Amino acid sequence: MASEPIVQVVGVHKYFTRGSEQIDVLQDLNLEVQEGEFLGLMGPSGSGKTTLLNLIAGLDKPSQGDIWVGDNKISQMSEGELARWRTRHIGFIFQFYHLLPVLTAYENVELPLLLLPLSAAQRRQQVTMALDLVSLSDRMKHRPGQLSGGQQQRVGIARAIVTDPTLIVADEPTGDLDARSAEDILNLLTELQKSLRKTILLVTHDPRAASRAQRVLHLEKGQLVEKGTLSGAEPALAGAGRDGSTAIKEGRSIPAGQTH
Amino acid sequence: MRYIAPLENYLHFLQQVLGFRTYTLVVVGAAFGFVVIACGLLWLLFPKYASFVLKNLFRNKLRTILAGMAIMVLALVVTLVWSILVPLDAFVTEKTSDFKVVVTERWKVPSQMPFAYAATLEEGAYSQPGDVRVEPGNSMTWMFYAGFLDKQNPSFENFAFFFAMDPRSLLERETKDGKKLPPMMDDLEHPDETFKQAVQKLVENKSGCILGRDRLKALNKRVGERIRVYSLTLKDADLDLEIVGTFPNLPRYNQVGAMHRDYIQDSIDAYPRTHNGTKHPLADKNLNLVWLRVADSETYGKLGNQIMSSPVYSSPAVKCETAASGTSSWLEPYKDIFWGVKWLLVPVLFAIMALVMAMAISISVRERRTEMAVLKVLGFSPARILAIVLGEAVLVGALSGFFIVALAYLLIQGTLGGIPFPIAWFSIWPIPTDALWWGPAFGALTSLLGSLIPAWNARNIKVSEVFAKVA
Repeated sequence: MASEPIVQVVGVHKYFTRGSEQIDVLQDLNLEVQEGEFLGLMGPSGSGKTTLLNLIAGLDKPSQGDIWVGDNKISQMSEGELARWRTRHIGFIFQFYHLLPVLTAYENVELPLLLLPLSAAQRRQQVTMALDLVSLSDRMKHRPGQLSGGQQQRVGIARAIVTDPTLIVADEPTGDLDARSAEDILNLLTELQKSLRKTILLVTHDPRAASRAQRVLHLEKGQLVEKGTLSGAEPALAGAGRDGSTAIKEGRSIPAGQTH
Repeated sequence: MRYIAPLENYLHFLQQVLGFRTYTLVVVGAAFGFVVIACGLLWLLFPKYASFVLKNLFRNKLRTILAGMAIMVLALVVTLVWSILVPLDAFVTEKTSDFKVVVTERWKVPSQMPFAYAATLEEGAYSQPGDVRVEPGNSMTWMFYAGFLDKQNPSFENFAFFFAMDPRSLLERETKDGKKLPPMMDDLEHPDETFKQAVQKLVENKSGCILGRDRLKALNKRVGERIRVYSLTLKDADLDLEIVGTFPNLPRYNQVGAMHRDYIQDSIDAYPRTHNGTKHPLADKNLNLVWLRVADSETYGKLGNQIMSSPVYSSPAVKCETAASGTSSWLEPYKDIFWGVKWLLVPVLFAIMALVMAMAISISVRERRTEMAVLKVLGFSPARILAIVLGEAVLVGALSGFFIVALAYLLIQGTLGGIPFPIAWFSIWPIPTDALWWGPAFGALTSLLGSLIPAWNARNIKVSEVFAKVA
């Protein structure tokens, strides 16, 4: 791996205000991700995983602290600058795919390229390559409604990689898939990381997904704890999850059921 | 107007050849065709986003069609109303060029002045150096002559109304120093050869007449035939006339006629020979209007004073007013209605349709909230998302507005020649070709206004809130 981290999170705090109450989601969080690393992020409900993901992907801004991705200090960028930056540097994979239903698979993958100064021929070339990589070349003209869940997620992955982004962030990409489809998706992500040297940041509750990561971090009460490597996460994490029952060691956290 | 008349002639011809039903289908097809061509142009101009925008519009066909129909109602009503109000405004607004003055009897309606006034009034009552002088060719006298072709069964179908005038007033004239003067009658600046020949015949043949096309059809006569008019306006002055031609196909002339003033004068002068030397009752009252053309309102002011202070026109006294104010006085009873339509009906209609569009776009944005958030994640800036939502709305508005106005223009203008809505002496109102841009403009503007708030909300969608979950 390269010595310079591709992602640097320094002293980041993030809180939300509900009425007069301030709710701390992330507290003095520091993180480095190396280029080409496959990092897993786990934690109980309300621990701030998606919040951290949104901050690194430039979808939100920290209340305090700085975030660098590559040479860009994204915590200081305006909304417009972040939008332009995301086009080139972030590939986002959603849990529920979020493909546009009126567009074909080809058009969905092409969407981010419309924001770049590329000719139609160049866009065609890149879309074709991306769909080849996810083995969906024969489904280009199909709409999302005509694809299975696994196929839709592969289109989502193709969309995420078509701009050759610096960082791929995946928010529970297997959360809505059956075991076999989930396995296919995880294989694909692993392959992307190995063959294309993509840096992947994966948020998951699924230990099988987390086991694909080279490093797994656990978020508890807005703080990061490194829990595992390639061999997998601790058994305790398998039970962590959606009912928010994981014990909180110190300080406050968002109660179970509240969004983060 | 020179471009409207040939187009309308072609539409009339097409309708006669195809029949009303087939003509209507052709017109509807043409309007659809224009819309398809517009979408094609959009694709060519904005290839990156055209597919996305058009597919979004057709995602919920029913909603898009209903929103489009709402805009069509607005565009149609406003176009029909404006087709009446805009020319009315023009009639009652002082023109800066082709400034016309009307001289009439001061204290009586209808105006009945002695024809002896004509000779001096045509020069603007010029009497001494320093006075305003109206050039020859910048004046026109009118005598009204009306009657029925069937004395036993008078009806509207056999009724004819004529302006008796110097027929040279109908065409452009040239002064001695080569300056060209437009015709004294409006909208005859670009006559075709047929009309020019008809006027020339009228100049040469005092017993000729030129009729409006609709009136000619109603009388069931043709050019070249002779008619006998049993006078309603001039006692015992029934006249035999030869139809030497027709007016151009313009609504303001379709129901009237023009004849030579000397023919009436001769008839009046001949009256004593057959009535024991008694003068015709209207011998000194047969000049109804005198039109004068001046350079500007300042000249009008001087001319007006000059005429009204002249001792020559004391019995009966005369008054001068501009053509616009003359028309205004006739339209006085309708003033409140026009005001209400212009300042209440049309703005309220705009407001209602903007609200309808606001509702439709709000629902669309709400349904697509997640998609908008995804677009933001992919890098679409807030401004771009705003533009997409506004663009979709404006496209629906512009295309709907254009479609309905094109349809109305081709159907109403092509079959009826305009909107049949009698006000004062105006019987029909042509839909101007300007309406072809009014429609898309009204539609686009209404959609833009209605979609501003929903588009702003779309722009401000927070990704973190949309994708927030319990996980």
